[in-house]
Amino acid sequence: MMGTIEALINLMMADQVAIPLLDPILNILYGIPLLGYLLAFILWKPIFAGLVCPGFATLGVILMLFPWIERKLVARMQWRVGPREILPQFGGIIQLLADSLRFLFQEVIVHRDAKQPYFVQFPVLSFIPALLPLLFIPAGVIVAVKSAYGVQIILALVCLFPFFILGLGWASNSRFAYIGTVREAFMYFAYEIPFIIAVLAMIVLYGTSDPVAIAGMSVPGIILNPLAALTFFIAAAMATSRLPFEIAEADQELAAGPHVEYSGILFGLIYVMCYEKMYILSGLMTILFLGGGSGPEIAILGDLSGVVYFMIKTVIVMTLLAALRGVYPRYRLDQGLKIGWSSMLIMGTLALVISLAEVLIL
Amino acid sequence: MMKEEETRNINIVNSEPLSPLKKWSAKWSLWPCHFVTSCCGVELAHAYGCGYDGERLGSLAMGISRQANTIIVEGTITRKMARPLRVVWEQMPDPKFVNVIGACGERGGIFWNSYHITHPHRIVPVDFFVPGCPVTPEALLRGIRALQDKIEGDDRSTISFRTVDLSGAGGKKNRVPESPKIIAPTPLVKPDIPSGVRWEEGEQIVEMLKKVLGELVISITVTDKDRIAIKTTPENIREVAARLSAEMKIDHVKSVNVIDVPHERKFIIEYTAGSYEKELMPVLFTIFADLRSGKDEISFPSLADIWMSADYTERELQDFFGVKFEGNPGREGNFLLAPDTPKFPLRRSFKLEEERYVLEDDKPFAPVIDPPTEFDIPLPPGLEEEVGAAGEYLLLVGPHHTGSGHLRWIMRLKGDTLSEVIPDPGYVHRSMEKLAENRLYIQNIPLFERLCIVDPFNVNLGYVRTIEKALKIDVPERATYIRTLMAELSRIDAFTYDAGIFSLFMGHSTGFMYLWAIREMLLEMITAMTGSRCSPSFIIPGGIRRDISDEVLNLVEKLPTAVQGRLRKFEDIFVNNPVLISRVKGVGVLSREDAIKAGIVGPFLRASGVEYDIRKIEPYEAYGDLDWEVIGADDGDCLVRFLVRLEEMQESLNIVKQCVEKLKSMERGGVMSEAILGEYSEAKDDIRGSFYRVFGNLVLPRGEWSTVTEAARGTLFFSILSDGDSNVPYRVRTISPSWYNLRGIIEASRGEKMADFWAVYGSFGYFPPEADR
Amino acid sequence: MKKIVAPDYGLGETVKSHAAAIKVAIKEAILPQTVTSHYPGERRRMPDCFRGYLRFDPEMCISCFQCSFICPANAIGMREAPDNRYYPTIDYGKCIFCYFCLDSCPGGALKPTKVHDVAYNDVDEMLTPTCDMIDMPEIIREDERYVEYKIDEHDLSLERVKGLDDLAVELPELEKISMVSVCVAPENCLSCRVCEEVCESGAITSALDGDEIRMTIDTTTCNGCGLCVKECSMQVLRLVRREI
Repeated sequence: MMGTIEALINLMMADQVAIPLLDPILNILYGIPLLGYLLAFILWKPIFAGLVCPGFATLGVILMLFPWIERKLVARMQWRVGPREILPQFGGIIQLLADSLRFLFQEVIVHRDAKQPYFVQFPVLSFIPALLPLLFIPAGVIVAVKSAYGVQIILALVCLFPFFILGLGWASNSRFAYIGTVREAFMYFAYEIPFIIAVLAMIVLYGTSDPVAIAGMSVPGIILNPLAALTFFIAAAMATSRLPFEIAEADQELAAGPHVEYSGILFGLIYVMCYEKMYILSGLMTILFLGGGSGPEIAILGDLSGVVYFMIKTVIVMTLLAALRGVYPRYRLDQGLKIGWSSMLIMGTLALVISLAEVLIL
Repeated sequence: MMKEEETRNINIVNSEPLSPLKKWSAKWSLWPCHFVTSCCGVELAHAYGCGYDGERLGSLAMGISRQANTIIVEGTITRKMARPLRVVWEQMPDPKFVNVIGACGERGGIFWNSYHITHPHRIVPVDFFVPGCPVTPEALLRGIRALQDKIEGDDRSTISFRTVDLSGAGGKKNRVPESPKIIAPTPLVKPDIPSGVRWEEGEQIVEMLKKVLGELVISITVTDKDRIAIKTTPENIREVAARLSAEMKIDHVKSVNVIDVPHERKFIIEYTAGSYEKELMPVLFTIFADLRSGKDEISFPSLADIWMSADYTERELQDFFGVKFEGNPGREGNFLLAPDTPKFPLRRSFKLEEERYVLEDDKPFAPVIDPPTEFDIPLPPGLEEEVGAAGEYLLLVGPHHTGSGHLRWIMRLKGDTLSEVIPDPGYVHRSMEKLAENRLYIQNIPLFERLCIVDPFNVNLGYVRTIEKALKIDVPERATYIRTLMAELSRIDAFTYDAGIFSLFMGHSTGFMYLWAIREMLLEMITAMTGSRCSPSFIIPGGIRRDISDEVLNLVEKLPTAVQGRLRKFEDIFVNNPVLISRVKGVGVLSREDAIKAGIVGPFLRASGVEYDIRKIEPYEAYGDLDWEVIGADDGDCLVRFLVRLEEMQESLNIVKQCVEKLKSMERGGVMSEAILGEYSEAKDDIRGSFYRVFGNLVLPRGEWSTVTEAARGTLFFSILSDGDSNVPYRVRTISPSWYNLRGIIEASRGEKMADFWAVYGSFGYFPPEADR
Repeated sequence: MKKIVAPDYGLGETVKSHAAAIKVAIKEAILPQTVTSHYPGERRRMPDCFRGYLRFDPEMCISCFQCSFICPANAIGMREAPDNRYYPTIDYGKCIFCYFCLDSCPGGALKPTKVHDVAYNDVDEMLTPTCDMIDMPEIIREDERYVEYKIDEHDLSLERVKGLDDLAVELPELEKISMVSVCVAPENCLSCRVCEEVCESGAITSALDGDEIRMTIDTTTCNGCGLCVKECSMQVLRLVRREI
């Protein structure tokens, strides 16, 4: 019995997140029974990745902060202030906390026409494709599941996402939700292929599909193949329903499309789900094109240095996606489809050709 | 019941467990649901626009009732809108709160005795009432703050008074004076009384008309400059219209009117038509016929197939008077009015509540209006079956919808293509015409101004010009320049509003905000001039209420250059944005012929290639002396409709500049016509102290007086019928640009993609309160 | 007519205008031209002519009913005060702030204020009786600064000034046009005494002169309210200027 635990502890200790800055404190803490074990468990790299970063805890912080960042940024672009009075000293940074608590305490209305129980199940179920990809995204050297096919797995899981939105819309059984759902389905086909081709171009270029290996490359992908990066970025904007491709939700036309009937915490879940998707796609973009967690090593942070760089880059990509809202109006459905099926497909193919050329020539 | 519902909602936030958290989160997350019901919506937009930014208070304007928790009732709730209000309230999850802003939502405001309004506090439980007409954005935010305090547990009004003891020595008991209204019991009502103005071309046109119409007419009279009244019979009117349309090129109808004359047991049915042929442009042809009213079924031949522009107006009159227009393509049921409105409210036998000038008990006075009991808004009968049979489906957009405005669009869709959009207007119908028949001429100024508070001066000017035309008074030069200046500011006001809404419809909130910054600048100037942001009621017969100081003129002088920087940014980010161009170019095309046929007006008509601008054709105010150009285009699509107005804004700024220059060189004072002031001539610089004494007993000469004014969105038609004895009008007919343009929206969106509807809608700058009147 | 031609974008223009739009966005994100005033922490300074809540000065009131007659929303109801004179009350549930009443008031009894941001929790409270209209109303104020819009040739900027904005406004004194009622055709008088009954100032009196009732108007006490002129069914009364 003791032997197994000992072996386990040793296994965990062998693969701990190294943080030179905190070493003195950690060393003391490791010495305390139970707490030491717990700490060792949490700081075990695969668990750390899943629970802390880029996994659960970071996700939580992102979800609580990022909509605020988005609202503040767009407000700034629009000569406004954005959320403030709730905590004026810090620019209203806890605004999302109030909003989410309000949703939590509000009545959840399941209307008579809704297709029960799917109406309630889909928002909850959609967390599976939202959370699973996080296991494969490395923040620096920290990753939950190491896999040679990590990129493909992330891609596959991300592609599952729209099905849940279709489910939401279908279960809502409302005309606006129905039209929004159909639009979502159309858009899904339009962006999915260029999106996959863009990722493929990078896999061809790198010769590997292990996210950790890709992130560790010396030259970031955006320099090697900027066209693939652009295609990926636009596809990500389409996938996350950002303007100018906010076609399925189209507030002024469809009153938020698939989400129109959701209230209370169910809406809260859907609301954050969109941001989760953005987080994952931005993380993927960081790995594929921006060199993941690489950057000038901050020795004192040890392994966390990579995490910091990864997070900074991811948030920048997310911010860029969010900033589109301040710049563009919305395309029509057929225009969105046309862009997906023509321009983006051509761009994606060209990106693949560039990759092939680079691989063959260099 | 209302009280109970109100307490229920506040009790939810107060309930354990975690009551402090519930309170805190509800307090800082009051998302108002988009429930724009009338004019106060403009100020709501300002409160959430960049000038005040309600989002600072954690209050994010949200379109969807399921996700919001606050309704801000913006002004009038009509009988028709009462239903959506209750339905939306029911749709919202608990706990939910309601604020009512604007006097109309409290005791009816200026529409207090209208037949088509209700009191929102009888429909949903209301937490706070904010006075104003419209309320200022600050007042609206005060309402939000008060609501926040209420959630925290401090429920109180935000104003308190110090009561002063008034008791003094009692005098004698005085008699209460009678109402100031003088109403002739059996007035003489005739639409074709000549005013005695000589008009030579008119005689020639009459000759031509006589040749064309021959025996079909009873009489042809020149009543005034640019107005010819043609009297005919119900039997002949279709033939008259057909000949006028074919031989005289009279191609559109400006107004259809019914005048009820109960003491002569007749209705006068009146069509005011015009032509877009160059030489006939300024002339109004009023074709009318008497219709015996004794019978139960009253019907009149419809002219909608000859002039499509008469169609909607005829349907509206069917609701108002119960005169059936035989052959009108409208569907069964009410077009404009709610199903439970009293029958035929514009007939003179339908009486409104009279004013009370003395408060008997200390209770505020307002008629008791029972809310509707049915909460279903019926579709036209047979529509659903018809649509199903055609393999299409129906989408009901509005009246509570982020992109509907305050009316319901019944969309017939085949896939993603609109086969037809059927309008269901009347959600903001506030019965201005009926109210105007019950008020002094002068009291109707603020009434009609509520047609369109984003274009207040033009509407104001339109009504006042009609009175001035009847009284034949000249306005002092300084006043004409100030009025022109104001009319142009108003034009910019309306454009920036419409363009902001257009950018929102296109999903571009930044464009909206950029224009709102310009609007704040503009409203600052309007406030400095008149004292009110949106509803100045500043133009009065004979001039303006008071002169404008040089200080204010110096401020206004800066406007033309001050907006340019921000306007450029708006152009860069929105107008020239390739995404926008691809969205609106070539969409919703109306050719010259279609545009005239549909009867659209103003910049939208000019965008289809018709050179018609009333300011040029019959220059009123100071327009004749100023240097400016009419803007037009040939394409007639959404993009040029928008660009024409954008360019018009530059032209307006140019006019503003010229007006200010001229005004600065002029001597101050003397902004009221002395002819109308009579013995109160001291009031010529400032009407304060003499307003009622001068205008209280204003009576227009007998006859019908019609004017057209170029408002921001096009032709604004006013026609006042006076019996010559009463100091209230016998009948006022007004047709607003948005009402004309409604048909244009329908025609332009036919066959387009569903999402294009909003491009068309936005490009037409449709303002429902203006259309519904 | 100046004709507008719709732009036609080639690839070059498309890229250029995308860049222009993004440039504006970036510029504003870094150095925004924010125009937000932070109500309730600060409030916009309104010009003196701003139309807000009304104040009332009973000293100046001649009970002429003109404010009530002119009110387009019928928000002003006259209420008999303990001294038997009629003073206005305002129902802010109807008031549209058009200031027709203030412009009509011949005595200058109505006075403007800049109070406009008010919320009531009960619609019946919105009726403001005369006795409450005399002093400045007190509102909840959380502002510490006021904002002034500074508009120059190039742009709009907000100037924030510490301190409370005074919401009371004093208008320049009204140049009163003093009128007086005279009977122009005494021979037509029916001696119905309506004018006497309606006269607030007690200027019109009746006296029995033989069989007839004779009406007299004391021009020194007449305040020129004009009610008698309005009420006279024979229209024998006129308002004329007071001879000085």
